[in-house]
Amino acid sequence: MTNLSRPDAADSESELRARATAALEGADTLSAVQVARELLLAAPTIRSARALRVALAAQRARHPGLKPIRVALVSSFSSEFLHDHLVAWGLGSGLDVDIYQAGFGLFRQEILDAASGLYRYQPDVVVVAVEGEDWFPPAYRDFLRNMDRDSKAEVEGWQNEVVTLLRTLRNRTTATVLIHNLASPAYGALGAADAKHSDGQYAAVRRLNDVLVSVASEVTDVHLVDYAGLVNRHGALNWYDARMRHYARAPIAGPMQSFLAAEYVKFLRALRGLAKKCLVVDLDNTLWGGVVGEDGPLGVQLGATYPGSAFAEFQQYLLGLRARGVILAIASKNNPGDVDEIFAANKAMVLAPQHFAAIEVHWRSKSESVASIATRLGIGLEHVVFVDDNPAECEEVRRNLPAVTVVCLPPQPERFIDVLAREGLFDTVTLSVEDRRRGDLYRQRSQAENMRASAGSVEDYYRELRMQLSFAPVHQASLARAAQLTQKTNQFNVTTRRSTESDISRRARDPGWIVTTIAVRDRFGDHGIVGVLMAKHTGDVVEIDTLLLSCRVIGRTIETAMLAHVCDCARARGATAVTGTVIPTARNDPARDLFARHGFAKMAEDVDGTTHWRLDPVQRGVPWPEWFERAVESAASELGD
Amino acid sequence: MVDNLEQRIREILADILGIDVAQIGDSTAFDRTPGWDSANHINLVVALEDEFSIALDVAEIDAMLTFPDIVSTVEAKL
Repeated sequence: MTNLSRPDAADSESELRARATAALEGADTLSAVQVARELLLAAPTIRSARALRVALAAQRARHPGLKPIRVALVSSFSSEFLHDHLVAWGLGSGLDVDIYQAGFGLFRQEILDAASGLYRYQPDVVVVAVEGEDWFPPAYRDFLRNMDRDSKAEVEGWQNEVVTLLRTLRNRTTATVLIHNLASPAYGALGAADAKHSDGQYAAVRRLNDVLVSVASEVTDVHLVDYAGLVNRHGALNWYDARMRHYARAPIAGPMQSFLAAEYVKFLRALRGLAKKCLVVDLDNTLWGGVVGEDGPLGVQLGATYPGSAFAEFQQYLLGLRARGVILAIASKNNPGDVDEIFAANKAMVLAPQHFAAIEVHWRSKSESVASIATRLGIGLEHVVFVDDNPAECEEVRRNLPAVTVVCLPPQPERFIDVLAREGLFDTVTLSVEDRRRGDLYRQRSQAENMRASAGSVEDYYRELRMQLSFAPVHQASLARAAQLTQKTNQFNVTTRRSTESDISRRARDPGWIVTTIAVRDRFGDHGIVGVLMAKHTGDVVEIDTLLLSCRVIGRTIETAMLAHVCDCARARGATAVTGTVIPTARNDPARDLFARHGFAKMAEDVDGTTHWRLDPVQRGVPWPEWFERAVESAASELGD
Repeated sequence: MVDNLEQRIREILADILGIDVAQIGDSTAFDRTPGWDSANHINLVVALEDEFSIALDVAEIDAMLTFPDIVSTVEAKL
């Protein structure tokens, strides 16, 4: 029973720890992030997490590239055991997580007391981590005692309490709120019969979770952490530790803490614009077993029996990711003819060439392929995930493109899905209609690009696109998409200011703000909401705070229409100046000359390169390009709280 | 074997308490050694259980309050 013989695992752990510390000391942020992630995947233990947290604390000043985020934990149990894991997983994701721990078990008081430490801390994110047992005992330890009573009134009372707490949080902070849904106990109160009974315990917990779903959609910028799903994945018997619940008010088993922290970090990543967008896959031994160049298009392992069945299932999973908005691409060392042939001839292929936004098949290095795909699609390397079964290829990409997230597949194809799914690298806070259609949108873009090549002049091209623009005040249905765009857009973004749903909704209700979304449709299809414009009107000046455009529709003069719209708004409000700011970042090159191109005068330039611009909307203005058909919805925003 | 065990426990203590391995000895104890508070006592239990694939009872957790205590408790479990 002794496991004194784990030398291999222990060696690689200590080596990874040493490498992480060295990268942190050497101010090599990208390597530190990479190695921290590898260590946590290999050994999600308190020792790994603490080592990373301690090393980061000592070297924090050398890593301005990590994105800071302030997280407040309010909980019904001892959640301080999460701290090391949260900081460590944050590092492994490119974040510098700072934590406020609300007083133990004081979640109600901290939220209701306007003077509490929670509000003084000014968090970016508040996590409300409450176990079902602590929220609503009638569905848990008191279940059998209560089951004959009509619980409707009690559930309503609980719902009111949750709504009050969330609204209080909403009114007092602009933080994004993450609230746990509730896990079922390991054993249903009615034993083997519980599942069958609509008044059983499992059903009671399900009803509470339905309440949470409706509450979370009622209050702005509240999201559910799928705690029930997490407990389910790991199994309630592994997840909980009754011993520590009694002994230390720490119900979650030590080895599980890392997984809960990692679940929070999925949200933190998305909020800081670090959710991944593009998945670049290898072909041989990744999409099918064997080598197409040697085994032939019909000789590879793919189909109904193992291992081919596992590869087919993995392809199905990738197709599912695409349906969720992940952009797929291929980087393979092969003869292009062999790859064309397998797509054409092998009926067991689930994926087809049109599912991939870019295909690189040649004998040059994988890092060259990945870099070229990112450039062609206009996606930053920090938003790319590379998947390969070959450790040498993985290492080559890690070394030459340290910003790319590398997933090295294990030798067993049946494990591929889990290896990719467990990290939730592509997870977003919400899933918009635009996300679900992204795969098609990228295809439309390439069709439009082909048309550009054949159009006589660029103006002809704009006319032939037959673009329709809709300008609308942000409303409940578009709020999540607007926030997501501010969080994800890096290229055509003049200030790269990230906003949460509550930031945007607060502005939308303020008559001093112009908060507009821009949707585009063209002859190839509906792109949905692709732009966000936020400007503040004070006295004679309308100041552009945010002006951004999804990279899918850059190069179609939509930005000109956006400025024309601001000028219209400014004139209607009697303003005599429109001002704008360009804050240069590593990625926003396409947006830098926006104001200069449209006749704005440069007023100042700061030492960091930030420039300030001004235009008189009455004397000069920005004319609307004639090729747009436009609709401007002027009804006031109807946002509640 | 025992030396190896002691050394591994030393390293775990050093990691969790945030002190140097060389500083850990017979006088390293709960409430006396900086860092060894009740929260880190739980973290130590988690790290030891993970490292040696053992499960400690509350009575054992409550009783292992020095470095030598931990060594003998873990030894008895293996």
